[in-house]
Parts: sequence; C-alpha cells; structure tokens
Amino acid sequence: MAVIELTGVAGAIAPRRRRGRSVAAKLGGGLAVLVPIVVLSSFITYCLGALSNSNPAATILGQDAATPAAVAKLDRALGLDKPLVVQYWDWLTQAVQGHLGVSYFTQIPVSQSIGQRLPVDLSIALLAVVLAVLIGGTAGTVAAVNRGSWFDRGVTIACSVVSTLPAFVVGIILVVLFAVSAHLLPASGYTAPSAGVGPWLEHIILPSLALALQVAADIARQLRTSLVSVLDQNYIVGARVRGLPYRRVLVRHALRNACGPALTILGNDFPIMLAGAVAAEVVFSLPGLGQLLLAAAEERDIPVVQGVLLVVATFVIVVNLVVNTLLAALNRSADGVSA
Amino acid sequence: MSRRPLIGQRSWLRLPSAKIALVILAVVIFLSIFGSALAPQNPLTINANALFQGPSAHHLLGTDYLGRDVLSRLMAGTRLSVLTAFEAVGIGLVLGAPLGVATVFLGKWFDFAVNRVSDALMTLPYIFFAVAVTAALGNGLVQAMSAVGILLAPGFFRVTRAATLEFARAQYVEAAELFGASKLHVIRVHVVRKVLPTIAVTTAMSAAGALLAVSFFTFLGIGVTPPAPTWGGVLSSDLDYLSQASWAPFIPGALIAVTVGALNALADAFRDRVGPGAMPVPDPVIKTHSTLTQSDREATDARQTAA
Repeated sequence: MAVIELTGVAGAIAPRRRRGRSVAAKLGGGLAVLVPIVVLSSFITYCLGALSNSNPAATILGQDAATPAAVAKLDRALGLDKPLVVQYWDWLTQAVQGHLGVSYFTQIPVSQSIGQRLPVDLSIALLAVVLAVLIGGTAGTVAAVNRGSWFDRGVTIACSVVSTLPAFVVGIILVVLFAVSAHLLPASGYTAPSAGVGPWLEHIILPSLALALQVAADIARQLRTSLVSVLDQNYIVGARVRGLPYRRVLVRHALRNACGPALTILGNDFPIMLAGAVAAEVVFSLPGLGQLLLAAAEERDIPVVQGVLLVVATFVIVVNLVVNTLLAALNRSADGVSA
Repeated sequence: MSRRPLIGQRSWLRLPSAKIALVILAVVIFLSIFGSALAPQNPLTINANALFQGPSAHHLLGTDYLGRDVLSRLMAGTRLSVLTAFEAVGIGLVLGAPLGVATVFLGKWFDFAVNRVSDALMTLPYIFFAVAVTAALGNGLVQAMSAVGILLAPGFFRVTRAATLEFARAQYVEAAELFGASKLHVIRVHVVRKVLPTIAVTTAMSAAGALLAVSFFTFLGIGVTPPAPTWGGVLSSDLDYLSQASWAPFIPGALIAVTVGALNALADAFRDRVGPGAMPVPDPVIKTHSTLTQSDREATDARQTAA
C-alpha cells in the first residue's frame, strides 16, 4: 500500500524531472521496441521459406538433372545447407544492403522486380492516404461540429455501410459507375507519372478511392467521437468565452487534441490499405507488388515471396514510426498547452 | 455472480439492430449447413442457352457467363466461406486470448516477449502474409485462413490483456488475494468472466474481418479448384464480363456486405453491453515512451508496484 502511495507522490511531482531524462529514455525505449519488431517480423518472413517442404535446388535443376550430387552442390551454392539462423542472418545482412536474392525461376534479382512494381503501389497508397485523410477528416469534423444534424447521422450511416464493403467490391462498383457506364475514367492499366501527371492521376484515382473509402470511414468515425468529447471540454468553452473565433478554436484547440486517435487509426489501417492495394491491382489490372507475389506464390518462388513480404512489412513499420513520431509531437504540444 | 437474462431490459438483444443481425447470421449459418442441398439447381450445370440472364422466376438471381444459376452457386458456396472464417477466428481466439490473461500473471519478461511477437505480427499485412503462407505450405484456403487466424491473434491478445490488467487490479481481487485466493482462482472467478464480453466484441469483429478475407481469397482464386462455387469466385467471374452484365457483381457484393454488416452490428451490441457508448481507443502498433496511452502508463505503474 505504502509503495502505491509513494509512486503516486512521485508521479505528482515528476513532470519536470521526467522531461530531463526523456531524450535517452525515449531513444532507448524506442529502440527496445523497434529492434525486436524488425528482427521478429523479418525472421517470421524468412522462416516461411524454410517451412516449405519444397526443394528449391531440385526445382531449379529440373527432373532430369536433379541427381543427389547436383542438388547438394546447388544447395551449397545457394547456402541452403547452413543452419536456419545462419541462413537468416546472411539473408538479412544482404537485404539491408538492398540485395534480396535472385528468383529461382527467372534469375532476375528480386530487388529489381520489386523496384519495378513498387511505384505502382506507392502511387495508389499515397493518394489513398491523402484521400482518406481528406474525406474522413472533413466528414468527421463537420459531423462533430454539427452534432445530431442530418449530416451527422448521414456520416454515421455511410461509415457503417462503407465499413462492410471490402476494397475489391468498392473497386468493382467504381469500375461499373465510372468506367463501364459513364466512360469517364480508364477501367484498367497504369501510366508512370513521368509520362504526364494527368494520365497518371486518371489511372490511379479509382484504385486509390477504392482502398481509401474504408479507411476514410474509420477515420471519420474516430475523429467524430474524439472531437465531440473534446468540444465538450471546459477549455474550449473558455476559449469561446474569451472571444476567439470559432474556426481558430476548432483548428488550434479542438482538432489538435482530437486527432490523435484518428492518426493512430491511419497507422493501424495501413496494412488493410496494402491488402486493398492488392485488390485494386487485380480489379484494375495494375502491375504491382500483389501481382508479383501471387505469381511467385503459385510457382513457389520463395526468394520473391520473402522479398515482397519483407518490403511490405518494412513499409508498415516505417508508416507506424511516422505515426508514432507525430503522436509524440501532438502529446508534447498538448502538454505544452496544459502546462 | 447473478446471470443477466438473455432477453430483458439490460440484455444486448434489446437493440433492434442486434436482432436483425442475429436473424441474418442464423440464415447464413443455415445456408452453410443446408445450402448445397437446398440449392434450386445444380450449381455446376452449364447452360449455353441462358448466359448473362437477369433475375427471373427460373433463375431468381440470374445466370453467369456459363449460364449457371447464381443463386445456387452462392448457396452452395456459403459453407466454405463460413467454415474457413470460423477456422481463422478460432485460431486467433485460442492463440490470443489465453496469452492475454497469462502475460498479466506470468511476469515482466514473459509479458515483454509476447508483446513484441504480437507487435511483429501486426506489421505483416494479412493478404501478403497469407499468400506467402500458401506459397510455403501449399495452395489451400485452409492454409491461407490459418495464416489469417495467426494475424488475428494479436488483436485478441491486446484486448484481453488490457481488460485483464483492468480487472486484475480491482480492489476485490486484492481482497480475495488477502483471503488467500490462488492465482488460478482469481483468474477463473474474477478475471475470465469479466473479460468474456470484451472477447465477444473482438470475436464478432474478427469474424467480420475473416469473412472479408475469405471472400477476397476466393475472389483471387486462392485454394479453390475452379468449378467449385464460392462467394468471391462468383464476383471474380462477373468482373471479366462487366460490359455484358454490369449489375451482376452487386449480388455477391451485397451478400458479403450484409453478412459483414450483421457481424459488425453484433459487435456494436456486445460493446454497448460492455460499457455504455464505449468506443475503443485505438492502440498504436508501435508504442514508445512518449506515445504510451494513459492506461499503458497505469499498467506499467501497477506492475512495478506489484513486483
């Protein structure tokens, strides 16, 4: 019991001291969290290949040439005769330098195939994030400000409906609406931005919208909830009483404190967006990472599968690091306001 | 602990949305058991004289590009979708929930280790992971959905752990421990019963996610031998013939959406029961010192005082 009281007191006087030791603690704490995540997720990725009972050397050599001696020789060349942990370490150190191995079948370096396809998914995902934040943020804010209005209720219903629709269904609906019926936008294909920003946007706007909608709904719902509770706080009423313009109160005071959970949602939903990107690739016939992975999985081309999974997981980690940094900055500015 | 009546003032069933959701789910489960037997026509019969027909008395939901009856194909395809979704949720529940309770009671290092594994799993997008698993373990829907189940586990784990932390610190637990109650007794009597409603919410939400995953996999054709009917398969065959029958994808699309919507509504109803108006505060995938939420800090404090 006494211990609890002691920490309670320490907690009460802590803020100043906590800030003093914060830099080292933050760096250390961040690394303690990040390093295991990177190592574990890459290890899981690598183990998938080792789990498979496929015999890569025999596959590469073909049925006729796959004598035990030849298989053993190729295994040695590929490093497949070493213990799993050693293999993993070799793979990871190579991967960090940008070498993800060579496809068993096409002999094309994996990093090269991924490099060709990554821009497609990055384009879609980036535009989707922008669209999700714009649509979800606007809808959530307007709904919270006009609480109980028809717009608010409309947003709530729209969010429930959209969250039941997977990206591939949304994609097909968009194709039917904008490409097949109205002939407004192309139904398939991809053009690099180097060939012109107009055609590039034309090709990625529908796929991006398809995977943005679900995330936009999540953001709108979360932002509405937190904004409603923030708008009820005394300091908002106080700011209004002091005569600050409503727009300023909303943006500077309310939104800054309410957008944390919505930001978290964006980080949490990023893997869902990547899944949506695969759906969009299929629906809109885009040459992206998902297509590469699906083809490689069918052939059991393990280096390609591992490479794609590693790149995708890295993106999820990076996006969540950015989200984490933004959240920390928000927390700091919120502390600064309240102090 | 007195049991609350299933139907009554405080029951989650009082919500109309929950009742509608239960009816829809009952129909889906009924179809998954008897769907292929009750299908009005053989879902595999090809009829070259009846391609792309709209809804009619003979074909209630029309026919596809081979003249096969869409209603029969959807009815016969229900079982695979529902069973594999159950599989994934079951794996997630069995892996995640017990660990969520255990980490609270088995010490700091165990807690740290399981949390990091859970974090690592959360960085793997389900579709990429599942496809990679089918590449390693063989192309099958069961393999793909067990991968989804493994990725659902962190969700169960985090929710259960948070709820357990909350209840394990309650004063009545402290009192019970003073009276000499064992850890197992505390878990059984004071923790598990309280945590169950929270797990129910996660189960319903995960089932919705798993169903979306199955329909996506069958849409991609993962683990399905072509003539076999599936929900997603009906959708993908429609995709190639949008110019002939642009209304066709809306039928399987609506079926998936309604089922997922029913599961979401059920989750909402459970959530109302857990706490009025409780909207879960999202949990960041990567948490460092400065972004720990208030409850995280309290949990750490509580563990430090307990140690």
